[in-house]
Amino acid sequence: MSTWSGIGQGFSVALDPTNLLYVFLGVLIGTVIGVLPGLGPTATIALLLPITYSVEPVTAVILLAGIYYGSMYGGTITSVLLRLPGEAASVVTTFDGYQMAKQGRAGPALGIAAVGSFIGGIVSVVGLVLLAPPLADLAVSFGPPEFVALTVLGILLVTYLGTGSALKSLSMAALGLLLSTAGLDPITGTARFTFGEVSLFNGLDFVAVAMGLFGVGEILHSLERTEKVQAVTAKIKGIWPTRTDFRDSAGAIGRGSLLGFVIGVLPGGGGVVSSLASYAMEKRRAKDPSRFGKGAIEGVAGPETANNASSTSAFIPLLTLGIPANVVLALIFGALLVQGITPGPQLIEQEPEIFWGVIASMFIGNLMLLALNIPMVGIFVQMLRVRAGILAAFALLVTMAGVFSVNNNVFDMWIVLGFGVIGWLMKKTGFEPGPLVLAFVLGPILERAFRQSMLLSGGSFDIFVTRPLSGGLFALMAVIIIVSAVTSRRRKAVFGRVDPADVDEPAPDADRQVTAEGSPGADSTTDTPPTSTPGER
Amino acid sequence: MPLSRTARALAACAALGLLTACGSEESPSGSAAEYPTEEIRLLVPYGAGGPTDLAARAFGASLEEQLGQTVVVENLPGGSGALATQELLAADPDGHTLSLATAGTLVVTPLANEVGYTKDDVTPIGVLTEVPSVLAVGADSPYATVEDLVAAAEEQPGTLNVGTPGASTPQAIELQRLADEYDVEVTAVPFNGNAEMTTALLGGNVDAVLINASSDVTTNIDAGQFQPLAVSSAERLSWLPDTPTLAESGFPELTLSGSTFGLIGPGDLPEEIVTELEDALRTAAEDPAVVEQVGEEYVPAEFQGAAEFQELLDRTQEVYEPILGG
Repeated sequence: MSTWSGIGQGFSVALDPTNLLYVFLGVLIGTVIGVLPGLGPTATIALLLPITYSVEPVTAVILLAGIYYGSMYGGTITSVLLRLPGEAASVVTTFDGYQMAKQGRAGPALGIAAVGSFIGGIVSVVGLVLLAPPLADLAVSFGPPEFVALTVLGILLVTYLGTGSALKSLSMAALGLLLSTAGLDPITGTARFTFGEVSLFNGLDFVAVAMGLFGVGEILHSLERTEKVQAVTAKIKGIWPTRTDFRDSAGAIGRGSLLGFVIGVLPGGGGVVSSLASYAMEKRRAKDPSRFGKGAIEGVAGPETANNASSTSAFIPLLTLGIPANVVLALIFGALLVQGITPGPQLIEQEPEIFWGVIASMFIGNLMLLALNIPMVGIFVQMLRVRAGILAAFALLVTMAGVFSVNNNVFDMWIVLGFGVIGWLMKKTGFEPGPLVLAFVLGPILERAFRQSMLLSGGSFDIFVTRPLSGGLFALMAVIIIVSAVTSRRRKAVFGRVDPADVDEPAPDADRQVTAEGSPGADSTTDTPPTSTPGER
Repeated sequence: MPLSRTARALAACAALGLLTACGSEESPSGSAAEYPTEEIRLLVPYGAGGPTDLAARAFGASLEEQLGQTVVVENLPGGSGALATQELLAADPDGHTLSLATAGTLVVTPLANEVGYTKDDVTPIGVLTEVPSVLAVGADSPYATVEDLVAAAEEQPGTLNVGTPGASTPQAIELQRLADEYDVEVTAVPFNGNAEMTTALLGGNVDAVLINASSDVTTNIDAGQFQPLAVSSAERLSWLPDTPTLAESGFPELTLSGSTFGLIGPGDLPEEIVTELEDALRTAAEDPAVVEQVGEEYVPAEFQGAAEFQELLDRTQEVYEPILGG
């Protein structure tokens, strides 16, 4: 009953002309910055934060939320057409989306992404309405050992994904973890790898690293293959996917909605993790996984649905607990604090117009996005018709301004440029930046949570297996490793590619993955073998 | 626009009975009367959007109104406050570049790391806000008082887990002092700020927290999610009259875990400018609009000027140096 009156109140707030205008502005800006490579929702929201101080709190959140989920739609466009993720969560879409575009199926790829995003968004909003309170209870019981398990799972997932060579993914993940240790030690406060540079005390800035690797690296790389880029942009037709396309992607969209919703709620989750997880799931479920990376429509539909679903459900911990699930939500949290509103357990009761107004605006915003994207994708694409050189220069300028605006720190601009060159070299040599950035983000969470767990348990590793949630997660990981080891062995047998080297070492892939999981911290090396050994016997 | 601003400033002066202070501006005497001649940069060593940023903006707006020059708030987070402080020290000591600072950025950061300055290189001007710390437990905690908690810690030293907002925070150092000076050993578990600590306490992953009582924490106290056992301030807080201080609970030395946010200028800031800014801060701290924006819990009942802020920094340095300096 109160849910219905809440929704009613929400729509009366969201349909207010001012708020309606701001929803539209939000999703439009979101789509545009999603299209423009290098400028993601984080930088844009950071740039626009000062503007929101002058409007009503609910209007501010409506605008910022619109930018966030709008960018999830927009990021797809460049991923598909240019193999250039407009924002980080669309990285996965480049795997199959770009291949579809090369086969002349850019239209359906964009169409299915828009439809999937819409469905994911709506499913997630409904979930937000129904499940916010119970899910908040679940999320709050997550302690340091669960965070260790979740981050190890994240790193395991990214190497398991292994679009290229597993060894390359693994080395990039390791590099990401190493880079994440720069800065002040989270437990003792000692400076590590700062080389006397004060700007490094807080570590390398995540936004700067991600913008460098994904943004500038891609810009540099794209300049080298201008003609190919133009060729793909030229042929877009038939946006609306065919009946076969819908049949092929229906399952992926359904699973992506649920997966994205769940991952978005978890602190530390978000667009990137959810799209990676959805891709991995679709690839696993597929009858013919080798189609992935060669233009499988499920590989576009699933992740795009999941990242939009997660960008909506990420509001659950913020609006019910006052805990931002990721960096974008942290900025929105900041916007609310400046307005004198502290999101927390009492928000729904004390400021119902914010909770319900934002939810209602998400319904409206997702409708607007579907309307914007299906017929108007061509117009957004026109922005990419601008000569690559001009676009690159503009994107670089916006990237540099955006990264500077986050911390007002010139040093971060050097980091962007430095990592831009590294990202470009990685592209050229076939190393994916995805595992690096993911490990870089998860590294500090993993380290802090692992050391907190050790403090809590007094140095005993039992804490990871005796707690049901973390024990369950580690068991799940053990299962993943065993299953992938078995399947990779079987695949080898099927393809008859067993050569003498492999006989000596029956499952090299499995070994790699065990090390992948063990490398972040001593926890998993001590935990995983005991849990996995019984399974293998 | 400038007219209405002047009018408002005059009205504020009159209302506060500071006609003498206003009048003195009309009889120029030395450089102070000319100050400020250009816009004032107010550096904030934290990101935009936090409570500190909010306080800087509220006070900045009041200074702007009183001094008749634009006050530009610049967020320079990073280096545990060292970036903003270094930027301040690179500026001319003419009062046109000021910064927000805490004992953390001025005492802890230079003691813990090589940053090229100490608290003696800056000129304290006055205190803007004070955010006390609260020792709190969850709603269903077996510990109802500080004594219960201390008894449990003494029975099994080190088994009690107490969350702090991070490594080398005043709260973490205070727990260190609790062990060093009072032989009460708890395990300090550093988290990344209030939000993480709140989840850890609500989720039952730590037994207690020593946490900045910013508005998110007071909300949780009001909601009954947190039970405050003690506060860090020297006197009881007006909004938590039934909660004892740590000092009353048997730890008279433990009054340093709160955070005091003050205004500083570069070293050798001329006396007249310090006085003028101090007066402007005092006026701002009494302005109901500023108090409302910052939160009345956080504006000290009695204004603390340059001397008091200097004293706090000196005392903190004295206490922290043996702990962090070694």
